[in-house]
Amino acid sequence: MKKATFPAVISTAIVCYLFWLCITGQLAMLFEGEAAWQVLVAGALVSLGVGLFAGKYFIHERSFYLWHPARLFTGLLYCIIIFPWELLKANWDVAKRALSPKLPINPGIVKVPVDLQSEYGQSALANSITLTPGTITMEVTEETTDEGEQDYFYIHWIDVATAEEKEAGDAIKGTMEKWLRRIWK
Amino acid sequence: MRYVIDALIVISIFFAFAGVVGMLRMPDTFCRMQSATNISTCGILGVIIGGILYSAIYLGNAEMAIKLAVMGVFYIITNPIAGHILAKGAYKHGVRPENKMVVDRLEEDFEQ
Amino acid sequence: MSELLFFGICFLALALMLCFRIFIGPTVADRANAADCVDALTDMALILFALYTGRGIFLDIALVAAVLGFVGTTIIGRYLEGKL
Repeated sequence: MKKATFPAVISTAIVCYLFWLCITGQLAMLFEGEAAWQVLVAGALVSLGVGLFAGKYFIHERSFYLWHPARLFTGLLYCIIIFPWELLKANWDVAKRALSPKLPINPGIVKVPVDLQSEYGQSALANSITLTPGTITMEVTEETTDEGEQDYFYIHWIDVATAEEKEAGDAIKGTMEKWLRRIWK
Repeated sequence: MRYVIDALIVISIFFAFAGVVGMLRMPDTFCRMQSATNISTCGILGVIIGGILYSAIYLGNAEMAIKLAVMGVFYIITNPIAGHILAKGAYKHGVRPENKMVVDRLEEDFEQ
Repeated sequence: MSELLFFGICFLALALMLCFRIFIGPTVADRANAADCVDALTDMALILFALYTGRGIFLDIALVAAVLGFVGTTIIGRYLEGKL
């Protein structure tokens, strides 16, 4: 475990302070100009302490990487339009399977190669895959071949169309990985 | 606007119903987990978006709307972590489906 | 106004249906998963009740219930994996 760097502490503390503002209701009062300064100062102290202790677990490299207009815009577009559409399609598919009288399921665990290199990109992709109904990420491994390192996900899939690695990868994470590659290389 | 909020909540109830029926009908543990994801994504987001609209427009209470948005973000962040850890733990604990799976790469690669 | 209560009762009925899976579930993972979903469904009923009465204090209770459900499910998963 590495030591906590200064930008990691600051960025964790900013997220904690935002959460504090939302949960105590001070963010709504801040716009009306009647926020209590005692609550604001106490929140700043507590979130700084939390960042000091927990920063090294959350941030490992390049703390403010997402704070760039193009990446921020792509991320917001992904979170607001692209991913909910995939979520709705997968939800409708699984609901149709569960409600149909013949129960057409075909489960299996497939192995899928991942092209993303960054730690945050891989965790975002794994969480997106798990959040869509019909697929669950079960294991993440890394294999060394002669061409270099290649990461693999093991995914439980409710309707196995193909067991071949590339085609299964395209069917499961094609759109999501294409958009995430624009944020994290 | 009232009908939009009602429609969102009814869509959410439909997906939650489909998830509950799936959890009661599916034959093995991992397929039941897939249906559980159905409950905790679309079954929740409809109510949360409808609640944000309702509390911002009809109640005029910005604090409640912000709290609801925080709850939605919290559910979206934490739900895949719990699902992933539960599925991995069940697999490592030795849970296997009764009917054979079509392909099981995890067993082929790790159980030599 | 009163249809919010009706939707909340629908969610509670779904949660009651799901309790059947907690009783008959063959493995521990089934029970933990179904308990997580019952937690989420009762949370939704609580949110609808908070909207019906217009009091924000119920939302705090719903948030705390969500946090406790996540922590419980995660700890049961880690224990099954054998790494606790």
